[in-house]
Amino acid sequence: MRKITILLAVLISLMAGNVIKAQDISPERKQAIDSLALEKVRDLSKYVSIIGSKSTPWSEANRVIDRAEELFMQGAEMGVSSLYQSDILYFKVRQYFERLMRLNYDRVEIEWYKIEYVSDLQAQPDGTYVGVITIFQRFKGFDAEGNLVYEDTTKKDITIYVKRKETQIGGRLIGFWDVLLGDVRVKETRK
Amino acid sequence: MKIENVMRIAPRYLLVMLMIVVALGGTTSCKSKKKIAREQAAAEYAARVDQAKKDLTAILNDATDWSLKEKEERFSTIKSWNIQDEEVLKLIDLVEDKLARERAEADRKNEEERLKKVEDDRGKAKASKYASIENQLLSIAAAPDAATANAKINQALQLFATPDAPVLIIISQAGGFNDYDRPTTIKRYLEYLKDQKVYNNAIEQVKYDASGKITELELIKK
Repeated sequence: MRKITILLAVLISLMAGNVIKAQDISPERKQAIDSLALEKVRDLSKYVSIIGSKSTPWSEANRVIDRAEELFMQGAEMGVSSLYQSDILYFKVRQYFERLMRLNYDRVEIEWYKIEYVSDLQAQPDGTYVGVITIFQRFKGFDAEGNLVYEDTTKKDITIYVKRKETQIGGRLIGFWDVLLGDVRVKETRK
Repeated sequence: MKIENVMRIAPRYLLVMLMIVVALGGTTSCKSKKKIAREQAAAEYAARVDQAKKDLTAILNDATDWSLKEKEERFSTIKSWNIQDEEVLKLIDLVEDKLARERAEADRKNEEERLKKVEDDRGKAKASKYASIENQLLSIAAAPDAATANAKINQALQLFATPDAPVLIIISQAGGFNDYDRPTTIKRYLEYLKDQKVYNNAIEQVKYDASGKITELELIKK
């Protein structure tokens, strides 16, 4: 019992230490991290539009899929919805991008807008900052004649994880903020 | 005999009388001059009190078009008059505080401007130093199509020792301490510019090898 108490005390003190460390960040630094996370979502938005575009060469699309996948945590999933079905399907991000590349339209337009925080980045006991960014996706699919055959607007929530890491570059220890995107959940789909 | 004596002493008495009259007359005249001087001093003092009240109130209410230096000089002059009027003394206290605040604010602004100028000069020097690299990065982001962007990427890569040369991007700076984005390589960064079609960083530092090729690029978010 005494050992458990000591172990608990050590764990609590370690967690408290991390909280203090995480809260030590100045408002300016926090703002820079917030902006960095938003920028990663904007980068993803551009990648989605490149991957979805039928004018993107196959090799280029694959290269961009690699870059897009690097934005996500391992195992992250992307929600897919349609006006024609009530179920929301979830795919691993790589699988989602590959499906996006092969969509059965002659031309696809995907635009993300209103990219903003719905839940600010909050420090967790392990030092990771977690927040949620919401986006609206406007999807348009056209046939060979250029007719719009499908369109919808989907609201999606993306969980953001930001953690401070260190790496050696040119003999120097570089501290950086690693922003990783988590699951992308569909919140609402409408015409 | 008596008459002779009187005639002999009379001039002396007359002289003494004359001296007394002159002496008495002189004293009266001196007394009136001092009085005039006192009255003049009092009038001058009253005028200074009025002027001091007027000027100090104007400074206090920002009702002058004097510069801070002119206000300070005026205040210094008024203070040197050593006016012992209660209202003036109170105004002096208030104006002294106000001018001290204005001086502190002016000093702060001057220092800010000086630092901004130093920073601008440094930025300009850096920008011109790295202008050719900056232009290459900008031209990739602004390329009209993928083929043009790829050609520009290949051209830009010639400046680097290896396509894997590290690129560090500073996202914030405070107290000589840098926060970075996840490090990348120059090839990936140039491809990023091609994909995102935007270059919103500035070159902070470039490291070269002995043959003049870039071995590390440090950028900073604008």
